[in-house]
Amino acid sequence: MLLPRLQPPLRAALASIARSSPSGTSTACLNEAFAALALKPLVFVRHASHAQQGAVNKAKDGPGKRLGAKKSGEQYVIPGNIIFRQRGTHWFPGENCAMGRDHTIYATESGYVKYYKDPEKHGKRQYIGVVFKRDQVLPLPRNSHRRRRLNMVAVKMEVPPTATEPVVTDLLLEGSGVGGRKEVKVRKKKGERKGEEGRNLKLRPGYMYREANWEIGRAAERAGVNVKAFKPRDRWTAWKKREVRFAKNAEKRSLGRKIGGK
Amino acid sequence: MSGCQKAARPLAQCLRSSQALCQSARAIRLFTRSSRLSEEAVTETASFTTTPIYDPEAVTSSKEEKKLMKTGVFPIGSRRRRAAIKTSENILFEQLPYQCFQEARKVLQADREEKLQLIAKERLRISNLIATDPKSINGGRKFKQVRLDSMRRHLEYLKIQADINDPLIKKRFEDGQGDMTKPIYRYLADRKWRDYQRKIIVQRIEQLAVVPDVLPFFEPTAEVRLAFRQKNVQPGEFVDSRISEVSARLKVQVFDKGERLVTVAVVDSDVPIVDKDWFASRCHYLAANIPLSPTETSLPLSKATEGQLIHPWLPAFAQKGSPYHRYTVFVLQQKPGQILDTATLKEKIKRDGFSMRRFVDRNNVTPIGMSIFRSIWDEGTAGVMQRAGIEGADIEFKRKKVVALKPKQKARGWEARHASDKYKSLRR
Repeated sequence: MLLPRLQPPLRAALASIARSSPSGTSTACLNEAFAALALKPLVFVRHASHAQQGAVNKAKDGPGKRLGAKKSGEQYVIPGNIIFRQRGTHWFPGENCAMGRDHTIYATESGYVKYYKDPEKHGKRQYIGVVFKRDQVLPLPRNSHRRRRLNMVAVKMEVPPTATEPVVTDLLLEGSGVGGRKEVKVRKKKGERKGEEGRNLKLRPGYMYREANWEIGRAAERAGVNVKAFKPRDRWTAWKKREVRFAKNAEKRSLGRKIGGK
Repeated sequence: MSGCQKAARPLAQCLRSSQALCQSARAIRLFTRSSRLSEEAVTETASFTTTPIYDPEAVTSSKEEKKLMKTGVFPIGSRRRRAAIKTSENILFEQLPYQCFQEARKVLQADREEKLQLIAKERLRISNLIATDPKSINGGRKFKQVRLDSMRRHLEYLKIQADINDPLIKKRFEDGQGDMTKPIYRYLADRKWRDYQRKIIVQRIEQLAVVPDVLPFFEPTAEVRLAFRQKNVQPGEFVDSRISEVSARLKVQVFDKGERLVTVAVVDSDVPIVDKDWFASRCHYLAANIPLSPTETSLPLSKATEGQLIHPWLPAFAQKGSPYHRYTVFVLQQKPGQILDTATLKEKIKRDGFSMRRFVDRNNVTPIGMSIFRSIWDEGTAGVMQRAGIEGADIEFKRKKVVALKPKQKARGWEARHASDKYKSLRR
C-alpha cells in the first residue's frame, strides 16, 4: 500500500501559519493550515518492504492429503478396498480394478494386488490389477482367456418355479425342431379370478401381460351382464329405481354422520 | 400496372403458352419406350374375379404392398420412389436428356473400354506365365507362384474398376437385384457391410469379450444374421428363453466367390460351475459340411441332415441369479475338399466343456463370421428347461458373502460399557 507523504504539505501549512500569525487568531490560523493541507496535492510513495508481503505473494502449502499407495503388491484385498490415492492418473486401473471420480484406484474383486506395465495395451502407462492367485503374473499372455470367478452359491429355491404349460398348435413353422417335433406356443394360464373368466392375457412388449382393448370393451358381454332396456314411458320402473337411489343416498348420509360427526 | 409489366405482358403470355405446350408435349410423351403406368389400361380378363398383378416398382398404398408381400415379392425402394415411377414418364436412365450427364457417360464408357482391354491383356499374361517353365523364371517355382498370385489379384482389381463407375450397377445393387456371382456386386455388398454392420459386430466382440474368452483372435469376413422364427436378433440382444427354444435361422453372406462347406457352432461361454468357482462353456448346436455360396445365403439350422448334424439344438437357458449367458454363433469355413466325419465327431465331442479353440485347432477350420445373443432367467425359462429335460430349474444363485478384512468395530457408548451383569442394577 502506498502511503501518502504528509511531511511536505504539513511543513507548507505551518509556514503559512507562521507567515499569517501576526494578523489572525489561533483558530483562524488552524483553519488556514487545514485549508493549505487540502489544497496541496498528496505525494504517494513506496517503501522497501510492507506488512502484507509475507502472506499475499507466498506459494501456498496446506496440510498433506495422505495420497499414495494404501495396499502394497501381493497384498490381499476385498472388493471396494482402496489401493492407490492420487491426483490425476499416475496409475491406471488394470485387471479387476476400477477408478473413482478423483482417480482413486480400488479393487472390484477379492484377490492380490499387482503393480505392472502392459506395453501392448499402452506404451507408457502403468497399471494396478488384482489377481486371484498370488503367483499369477500380470499382464496376462496375449489372446489368453480372461480369468473369472463365479463368486456365487447355488441354493435350492423354497418355492420351485412353475413350468408353464405349452399349448400345442398344429402350425409347423420353419425352424421347428429336428425330427419334425411339433413346436409349442406357450400360453400362460393364470388362476382365473371371479369376474375375470375368459380373459386372454398375451405377453406384450415390456414383459407385460395384457388383453387387447377391444377385449376389455367386451368384458360385460362375456360376463353375461344383463341390462334392461330403457323404456321411456314406464314410470313405475323409474319410480322404483328412484326409490332405491334415495334410500342408498340416505344411508350414505347417515353413515357419514355417525362416523364423521363428533 | 407499371410500364415494364405492360411491356412484358406479351412475352409472359408467350412463355406461358410455351409451358403449356411443353406440358402437352409431355402428355404426348416423345422419346419414350415405356408408357406411363397410370395411363395403362387395366386388362380385363375373361373371369370376373381377377387377381390384380402388382408391380414391385409401382405399388404405392399399404394395402397393395401387403398383397404384394403375401405373394413373396417385396416392393422395391421407398414409397415415394414408387409413386414417382408410377406417375412419371420413365425415361431410361441412360437416355436422360442432359448434356453434361451424357458427356460424363461417354467419359466413363471410354474408361471402361480401357479397363476391359487391360483385363484382356492381364488374362493373356497370366496364361502365358502358367505356360512358361519354372526353370526359366528367375526364382523358380515359388517365385512363379508369387507372381501368378499378384497378377490374379490385379486382375480382380481391374474387374472391379471396370464396373465401379457404372450408375446402373449401383442402382441394381441398391435395389437388391445384384447378382452375387459377379465380383462387382460382391464388392459393393462387402463395402456396404464394412461401412456399418461389421463395425457393430466388432464392437460387440470387444464389449462382450468374445475374443479372449471364446477364440484367441477373430476378424469377421462374412455377414451373419440371426433370427428365431420371424424375430430378427440384433447382435448382443437379450432373447427370451421361449423364443430361443426353437433352433435359429442364419443368413450368411460371403463376399468371395465359390461354394464352400461350413460348420456352424453355437457356444454358451458362461455356464456357472459352483465347485470350481468359475465358468465353463457348453455347445448348444454343432453341424458340419453345410454348403454355402454367395448366392445361397440361408442356413436354417433345423434343416440339417443326418450327415451334417453333430449336436441338435439345445434351448438357451440361464438359471436364476446367474449372470447373463453369452451365446456365440460361429460360422467356420472348412478347407476346400475337407469333409468332417460327423459320426465320429458325435462320439468324440461332448456338449459340456466344449472348447471352440480346441475344435478350431483340431479340425483346421477358419472362423469367417459370427453373431451373438444373450440370455437371462425369465418367466419361461423353467418351462423351457423342463421341456428340454434339463435339471436345475429350481436352483438359484446367490452372491457369496465377502468376509471383511477389518474386525467389526466394538460397540461404543455408555450402554455398551455397562452391558455386563455387573451393572444389572443400572439397567432400565
